[in-house]
Amino acid sequence: MLSRRNRVRLRQFGRRFSLRSRTCNCRRGDCLELAKLSTGRSARILCNNDIKTIERGLYHGVKITSFRNEPDEPNIVVAVGDSRYVLDRRIAEQIRVRII
Amino acid sequence: MSKNNPVIALAGNPNVGKTTLFNALTGSRQTVGNWPGVTVEHKQGYYLYQGRRYEVIDLPGIYSLSAASPDEQVARNYILQKKPDLVINIVDASNLERNLYLTVQLLELGAPVLLLLSMIDIAQRNQISIEYEHMESHLGIAALPLVLNRRLDTQALMQQIERQLELPREPVTIHYDEVVEQHLTAVQEVLQAQAEDIPAFSDGWQSLPLNWLALKLLERDVKIWEPVPARLAPLLEKEIRAVEKHRGQSSDAVLADDRYGFIRGLVKDVVKRKPLPKSTYSDRIDRFALSRIAGLPLFFVVMYLVFLLAVRVSQPLIGWIDAGLTWLLVDRWGALLALIGLPQWLNYLFSAALGGGIATIGTFIPPIFFIFMSLSILEDSGYMARAAFIADKFMRRIGLPGKAFIPLLVGFGCTVPAIMATRTLESKRDRVFASLLTPFMSCGAKLPVYTFLAMLFFPRRADLAIFGLYLFGVVMAMLFGLALKKTIFKTQPGNFVMELPPYHIPTLNAILLHTWHRLKDFVLRAGKTILLVIIVVNILQVVSLPDPLSGSGQKVSILELGGKALTPLLHPMGISSANWEASVALISGLFAKEAIVGTLQGLYRSDAAPDLEANLMAGFGSRAAMVAYLLFILLYSPCAASLTMLFREHGSRWMFFAFVYLTALAWIIATVAYQVLAFNPRSWLWLSLSAALVLIFFLSLKLIGRSHAVKT
Repeated sequence: MLSRRNRVRLRQFGRRFSLRSRTCNCRRGDCLELAKLSTGRSARILCNNDIKTIERGLYHGVKITSFRNEPDEPNIVVAVGDSRYVLDRRIAEQIRVRII
Repeated sequence: MSKNNPVIALAGNPNVGKTTLFNALTGSRQTVGNWPGVTVEHKQGYYLYQGRRYEVIDLPGIYSLSAASPDEQVARNYILQKKPDLVINIVDASNLERNLYLTVQLLELGAPVLLLLSMIDIAQRNQISIEYEHMESHLGIAALPLVLNRRLDTQALMQQIERQLELPREPVTIHYDEVVEQHLTAVQEVLQAQAEDIPAFSDGWQSLPLNWLALKLLERDVKIWEPVPARLAPLLEKEIRAVEKHRGQSSDAVLADDRYGFIRGLVKDVVKRKPLPKSTYSDRIDRFALSRIAGLPLFFVVMYLVFLLAVRVSQPLIGWIDAGLTWLLVDRWGALLALIGLPQWLNYLFSAALGGGIATIGTFIPPIFFIFMSLSILEDSGYMARAAFIADKFMRRIGLPGKAFIPLLVGFGCTVPAIMATRTLESKRDRVFASLLTPFMSCGAKLPVYTFLAMLFFPRRADLAIFGLYLFGVVMAMLFGLALKKTIFKTQPGNFVMELPPYHIPTLNAILLHTWHRLKDFVLRAGKTILLVIIVVNILQVVSLPDPLSGSGQKVSILELGGKALTPLLHPMGISSANWEASVALISGLFAKEAIVGTLQGLYRSDAAPDLEANLMAGFGSRAAMVAYLLFILLYSPCAASLTMLFREHGSRWMFFAFVYLTALAWIIATVAYQVLAFNPRSWLWLSLSAALVLIFFLSLKLIGRSHAVKT
């Protein structure tokens, strides 16, 4: 039998998982980070939880093309529809895409 | 809000033409740019139509109503609190999908909306055709096409606005996923049931649609959550978690995705277009302008060209303006006043002081005109945003996002709007950090000082000397930024997301209007200050007191006394005790940097020795002293207006910080420069003291960082 203190700890441990922001639910090999999409390649967004970029049109299902992606640079340049965006690599790492 | 004086707000994404429409409707001359962040505060104007006065508000560009940054908050708060009679939502027809996101949010808010589709010409060029009436029927609001950069039929537009005000239409209701709708209803029920226990309902929430409040609560909007009592939080959290569990996404992303679902369906239905071209004209230019090899050199070439134009082209113009205005306002005007029989002191005040002051302001105009014109061309063409992208690499090194480059670039015009432009940055850390670096960018007011002194001491390569000063300011900003990054702003900069607008060929009209707006603003402000400073300096020069330093009871002017008291502190940077006029000019520069030239001209010229250039040369004695003096001017405390703006934006703490630390830094750098350039055995002493001060400087920043670090 667990002590009350440990029961509370266990409950908190479980809550930590239940409250954790959900990562993208795509199978291994099925998708990749937008930050890894090489220059000139097009892809479709599978998961994006960053509201700032969703509001600018990088929503689930939209076609995105990488215009410039140099691994040593802090940003990438992407095209979504008629817009061109400079995206922070940290944000691009959170967005999952599937190459088309 | 009144039916007799309707209020119309202009809302839309950045860079869609809100300010252009505002200018067309009100006849105002607001600045228009091809980069985001031109309007950071809402601007007010009005027009008269059929005997009614229509108030027009130009709001900053926003992508949504989630209010992530202060300029977005300005727009959102205005719509929420002031409740305009009509919101004209300007959308870019060539980029409809993204622009309609804000429209959908405005419709959810229940605002009376008139949709104006701008950039129709670009849309047509991209072979995009839009069925406006079809769109109207889907959205339930009027949608009108508009080409803003050509002659606009304002009368027809005003008629449409009047019609919308008289016959408001019922907008469409946006439906979400079925499960999301269920939880939305549940949140609304909670709000309805607990309305009496939520104080915000009596403070203004009752006028907001319940559905919108529920949406914002589901989105976890911080501002809307603030007044919610703690005991209601679990009930609302339960609904949010249910939505998140259902879709496996954060709730705000769920709602945003669903809005785009609606928009995508709408666009598919009402827009016909040919497939997107693989690359546009702008993309092809970017391939070169942003390329690894050409990007950085092009950036520096463009910046150098700006200064070359400002100095080389303006150089002969300065001479002509100075000679012409001095002849007219000092010599001829003075002779006329003498002829009337005006007392000598009054004649001096009106001709030499006032006339000379106006002539001084006249000499500022060419360099400022050319620098503002160059910046206008860069902004209107779309290169400015590219420059921010190129600059991001260095900006990251000093702990700032690339977007902070825009306020810093505005700083080359004036520090006051530059500090205001930091509002486009999302985090407080970035805003404070960028504001502290803006004074390092030599503002337009410093340019006449540099031009005046550089042409005197480095006549052959004044342009290089001035460019060097500008560049040194940037280098110092980077070094100071690094020190701040290691001490006070230790966290990572905010995420950088920026739109690259398509390249435009700037129109002459837009460039001249843009330049004129800034030049007029600058000259009027600078003119007032310079004239005031010249009058004060002249009075202080006339009023005299016994000199306590000499002990002989000899009377000297108050100005001389103040300057002499300060001069010993400036001795290590090459200002000798006989050159007290230089110290006085620095004091006047605290009020406004442009006043330095006026003060130097007033103090170094006397009836006994009228040759200003010779007096200045003799006063400073060497080029080393002049270089140190110029460096001090470049780096010391920002002017009173900039300090006030720092106080307004970030509080007194950061204002004092900027004053003390920048002045201390200026002293150290100017001392090191002078002691190295005019090296003598005693220089070691001053260089050692400077090194010790640098150490103290860094340690004090570390101490401040421990207690007052800005993290978010």
